[in-house]
Order: sequence, then C-alpha cells, then structure tokens
Amino acid sequence: MRYKSQSVAYWYFAVAVALFGLQLVFGLLSAAKYLGPDPLLYILPFDVTKVIHTNLLIVWVLTGFMGATYWMVPDESRTELHSTKLAYIQLALWTVMGVATVTGYLFRYGTGNKLLEQPLPSKIVIVIVMLMFLYNIGMTIRKSGRFTTTEGVLLGGLGLASLLYLPALLHYENYTVSIFYRWWTIHLWVEGVWEMIQGGFLAYLLIRLSGADREVMEKWLYVIVGLVFIAGILGTAHHYYWVGVPAYWLPIGGLFSALEPVALVGMAMYAYSSIRRSGLAHPNKLALHWTVGSAVFTLFGAGLLGLAHTFPAVNKWTHGTLITAMHGHAAFYGAYAMIVMAMIAYAMPSMTRRPEEGTQMGYLSFWMQLAGMFGMTISFATAGIAQVYLERIMGLGYLDAQLKIQVHFVMLIITASIFAVGVALFIIDFFRHAPRFDVATDADADAGDRRTRVAAA
Amino acid sequence: MNKKQARLFAIGATALSALAFIGLTLDSHRQFDKLTNAQNITPQVTRGKDVWHENNCINCHTLFGEGAYYAPDLTKITKHRGAPYLTAYMRDPSKFYDEKRHRRLMPKQDLSEEDIAALIAFLDWVSNVDNQGWPPRPILVTGATFPGTDKPAAAGEPGAVPPAARPTSGAENPIAKGEAVFRTATPACGACHSVAPGVNMAGPSLAGIGSRTQELMASGQYKGKATDLAGYLRESIVEPSAHVVPGPMYSASGVSFMPTTYAKDLSADQVEQLVAYLSSLK
Repeated sequence: MRYKSQSVAYWYFAVAVALFGLQLVFGLLSAAKYLGPDPLLYILPFDVTKVIHTNLLIVWVLTGFMGATYWMVPDESRTELHSTKLAYIQLALWTVMGVATVTGYLFRYGTGNKLLEQPLPSKIVIVIVMLMFLYNIGMTIRKSGRFTTTEGVLLGGLGLASLLYLPALLHYENYTVSIFYRWWTIHLWVEGVWEMIQGGFLAYLLIRLSGADREVMEKWLYVIVGLVFIAGILGTAHHYYWVGVPAYWLPIGGLFSALEPVALVGMAMYAYSSIRRSGLAHPNKLALHWTVGSAVFTLFGAGLLGLAHTFPAVNKWTHGTLITAMHGHAAFYGAYAMIVMAMIAYAMPSMTRRPEEGTQMGYLSFWMQLAGMFGMTISFATAGIAQVYLERIMGLGYLDAQLKIQVHFVMLIITASIFAVGVALFIIDFFRHAPRFDVATDADADAGDRRTRVAAA
Repeated sequence: MNKKQARLFAIGATALSALAFIGLTLDSHRQFDKLTNAQNITPQVTRGKDVWHENNCINCHTLFGEGAYYAPDLTKITKHRGAPYLTAYMRDPSKFYDEKRHRRLMPKQDLSEEDIAALIAFLDWVSNVDNQGWPPRPILVTGATFPGTDKPAAAGEPGAVPPAARPTSGAENPIAKGEAVFRTATPACGACHSVAPGVNMAGPSLAGIGSRTQELMASGQYKGKATDLAGYLRESIVEPSAHVVPGPMYSASGVSFMPTTYAKDLSADQVEQLVAYLSSLK
C-alpha cells in the first residue's frame, strides 16, 4: 500500500466477500427448490430466495467495484483520496441500504420488476451513494492533476453506470415499454458500461502484473471499449425479442450480438499476450490467475454461451428456458465476480499479512470455484437443452418436462456445492490474514519494481 | 494506429451506435401503442399489472419469456385456460397440483376476487400483444401430447396407478380432477386430443371448445340432442357418434373413430369432472 487512504478498500472488500457468501446461501436454497418438494413453501418461497440471490449479486459486485476503485485511483493518480471520511460514510449507507432492502424482500417489500426490485427509497439511496462515490473519486483525480487513460475508462464506466440507473426510477403504464427501458439499465450495464469497468481494472492489473508498456496497453483498451459499444449498444436488441416491440429489433439483435464476442476475444488476447510477451514473473501469481481467468471465463460465459442462443431463429425455441440461466451464471461470474476477486487478490498482500505469492488455500479456492462454476454451467446447459426439446419442440407440458430433467438439478446442486466450498475458502483466506495498513516506503516498492524489471530483462 | 486514433475510434463508435439506438427507440415509441393494443389497457388491466408486481410473480414465472424459470410461462395462458379455471386456480393452487407429484407447487397468494379478475385481465392483455408470434408452438403447463409418458413413473411401484390417477382426497377442484381424468382415462383423452389451439392429432384440438360449441349450436349444423355446452360434452364422451366433427380423419360414414368405451369405463362423476375441465378450456 503506497497511500494510507487506500485502506478504505479493505472494508469495501470485506463487505463484498461477506455478501458474496450470503448470495450463495440463497443460491443453494433456490437450487434445492428445483428438486422439491419445498418444506419452506410458506416461509421462504422460491421467488424470495431468487430475488435475494440476484440482488445480493448486484450489491456485492458493486461494493467490490467501489472498493477496487478506491484502491486503484490513488495508485494511478499518485495521491491520497480526497476524503476517507466520505468513503466510509458511503460504505455505511450502502451496506445499510443493501441489508435493509434484502430484509424487505423477505416480507415481499419490492417492486416485483425483474432485477430492479429495489423499492423507491432504496433506489434513491443508491443514486445518492453513487453521487458521493463519483464526487470523491472526481475530486481525488482533480486534486492530483494526474488522470490516466485506465482511470478515465474506469471512471467513464462508473459514471455511465449511474446515469443508466435513472430509467429504472421511472414508472411506465405499458408493461412492454417498461421491459424496453428495464434493459437500458440491465443490459447496458452488464454488456456495456460494466465491461468498461472490467476493462479498466484489467488494464490496471495487467500493467502492474506484467509490466507491459502503458501506452500500448491503453491504446488497446480504447479499441476494446470501442468494440464493446459497437456491439453492446445495439446488441440490447437481443432482449427485445418477442416482447411486443417492432420486428426490426430481431435482425439487429442477431447481427450486433453476434459481434459481442469480438470485444471479449480481444480482451482475452489482450490479457494472454501481455502476460506472455512481458516474460516477467510478478510474485503475486494468485492475482495473475484471477486476472487471466476473468478474461478467459468471460469469453466462455458471455461470449461463447451468449452467442449460443442469440440468433432469433435459435432464441425462438430457447427463450425463457434454463439456457438463459446457463449463460447468465457463467457470464456474470467470469466478467464481474472474477475481476473483483482479481483486484482483491492483487491488493491483499499490501493490505493484510497474506504472503505476496498467495496461499495454498487461495489457489484451492480459485480452482474449486472454476470447476464448480463450470459444472453448474454444464448442468444448466444440459437441463436447458432437454427442456427445449421436451417442452418447446415436442410439446410436453412445462411441469412434466421439469420432472424429466431432475437429474440435471442433482448435478447442479453437487457442482454448486463445490463452487460454494471454493467461495468459502476465498472468504476464509480473506479474513484469516489480519489487516495491516502501514504505508510502504518507496524503497519497498522500488525493490518490488526492480525485481520485476530484472526478471523482464 | 496510435493511441489518439484508438481514442477517436472508441468515442466515434460509441457515439454512432448510441445515435442509431436512440433513433430506433424513437421509432419504436411510434409503434408501441399499436403493437401492444394500448387502447385496451383499462384501469383493470393496470390493476392486474400491479397485482403481478406486488406478488413478485416474475421471480418464479416468465412473461414474454422473461423472468425466472421455476414456473410456467404465462404469456398465452389466457388462450389456453378460461377465466373460471384461472379464478379457481388462483383461489387455491394446491387443489390443482400435487407437490409430491410435481415436486413444486405455487404458494397460495390470498388475493381478493377483484385482484384475481384484474390479474386475469392483465394476462389477457399480455396474450394479445403482437410479439412476432412467439412462442412458435404453444407452451403447455401440463400434459403430454405424446401418449404413455405418464406411465413409466408409476411402473416401479407394485400396484401403483399412474401418478395423475392417484387417489384423490376429495378436496380437489372438479376442474383439476377432470384434468387428471383427461390424462389417465383408458385410452387417455390426451392421446388423441390436444388442448393447444390448432394442434389436431387423431382427434380435433379441444382448445376453445366452449366458444366453438356455442357457434356450432347457433349455426344449425348440430345433429345431436344436447341443448347446452355441458350436455354436448357429456354426449360427445359417452356417445361419440351423436354428432361428428367434419373431416375424413375423424369419422367415416357418420361413425366417429373415437372409442365408445368411455360410457362404461368412466363413472358418472368422472364424466362430470371431465365436462367441468373441458368447459373451462377457452
């Protein structure tokens, strides 16, 4: 840690990983309900566990993004944060909002609008927290007078993410119109501006871990951002299939979503080639695992599995089946969960007593999560394929088809348990190393830099 | 390409895409009202939409294929099930499905009668939205269009009846019991008749049987003795040739191909349950 104020990131990360653990509890509960019968039918029915599962995901990933930004911006701008007090107030407000909202869901207090279930008071707090956050980061950069491209991309992503939340605050009488604007928030987040955020973190990590030339890395970061938006903005159309909007969204969705993997291939190549070419051995191998892992798993989950059902002629049959769950789990995990864990793994040795190269538990966690999530994806895929054939093509009733694919739900629960153990190890590994917030002197840091430079030479 | 050009590319590409997207959005707004029959969004439909949201329906079901995947898609539900069926179902789902057999059950929602009616009005509005003809084939809640798929589940247990023919507690709704009879009578009605619109198998589809019977009786083409829908259905079950649906695949020389065994194989109660179920098909 080079700047004292970076220590705020530790508390953001702590909240993020704790909520990640809680998310899995509700995920496992939901998966168990697929097997049924459900003894909790009138206490915690599926709709409640599912809404908590998805909302906790959004809350913890955003907490992770904010923590990682508070970690990265002082490094990039070479300054202390504008206000650590503001950062702590923001975290407290955010956490209270998150926990209160989730508790409200237990009592069916929500809007019932998919992924935007937060009641209006929570939505207003979200906007306030976002503004506090952007103000704090903006002032930090302004004071320092040093504004890097990597930072710019990250900040652009965060700013646009806040802006795109605004349509979610509005009310629409027409259900179809409300679907139309829901995707402005959800799709343009996860397949647009959040990818900018991921790209920003990725560039930061790659520059630090591989020692690659900043000018080159940032040039390619721009290219990736351009590619993300060419495909991502008009790719929103793939959410406009069969919902009551004009038919021209069908070919537009097919064409532009087919382009979405281009940016993701670019991102994976970017990560892989910069690591290979630099030929250096950064001691924090664990962070390297998460960084490259994130780029590669995004390509698989978001790129490949998204492409698998994005053409209207295919989607006509797969729309609204477990095929979507397959894509959703792998994409979100690869792109956003893993990039947050990459930032945590990178920052940990400077904030806690974790050894630089990572611990055995850390590696075990990485591989168990990867294996578990891969297995879950395959379980959803096999269940989804069977569902499409039985229910959509052969015409078996929904409930009867679900009974025939029970074996895949067993597989889902087994692989999800492996994943959960992996995540539990990550959480334990995070909390078992006591934090230490002493500022590294230039001599320490230079020693590290020199070590890497020698290896590169 | 240098960094400046790369930046220009990023900004330019984003701006162009955003511009195209906003243009298309404006054009979509021009068409929304027509595509969604906005003039039919009555206060009752709006109330139904609120009921849909308040009860978090979308986190189990899908509508337009969007939502969770734990319960059936409801986009076209009112095309398959009439208001009496849906009303009875919403009052108590457990009278229609058995959690032990289907492994999942919808919790009772405790809605008022007005809210149930509003919800059905909303779902009916949804079913008429022009969504490019999706789903390409009807998505059914239960039932198999191919025969015998119920049987294997019961084969393992000695003396077991097919699952849907389990002993009933007497508390079930007659419509639900009728649906069970539809699937488990020998031969199963569902082996020849689909309840999906336009799906004619060995027998004609029974979707919309209620309204079609009314038309039939008004048209003067009807040759049987029945005077109302229930009578017509009863007659068709126990005496299939009393009135035959035209078509060389359904009958020859005035004799229906439908088995005549139901008159003795089904009890009077079962016939009544079947009539209740079939009358509920819109």
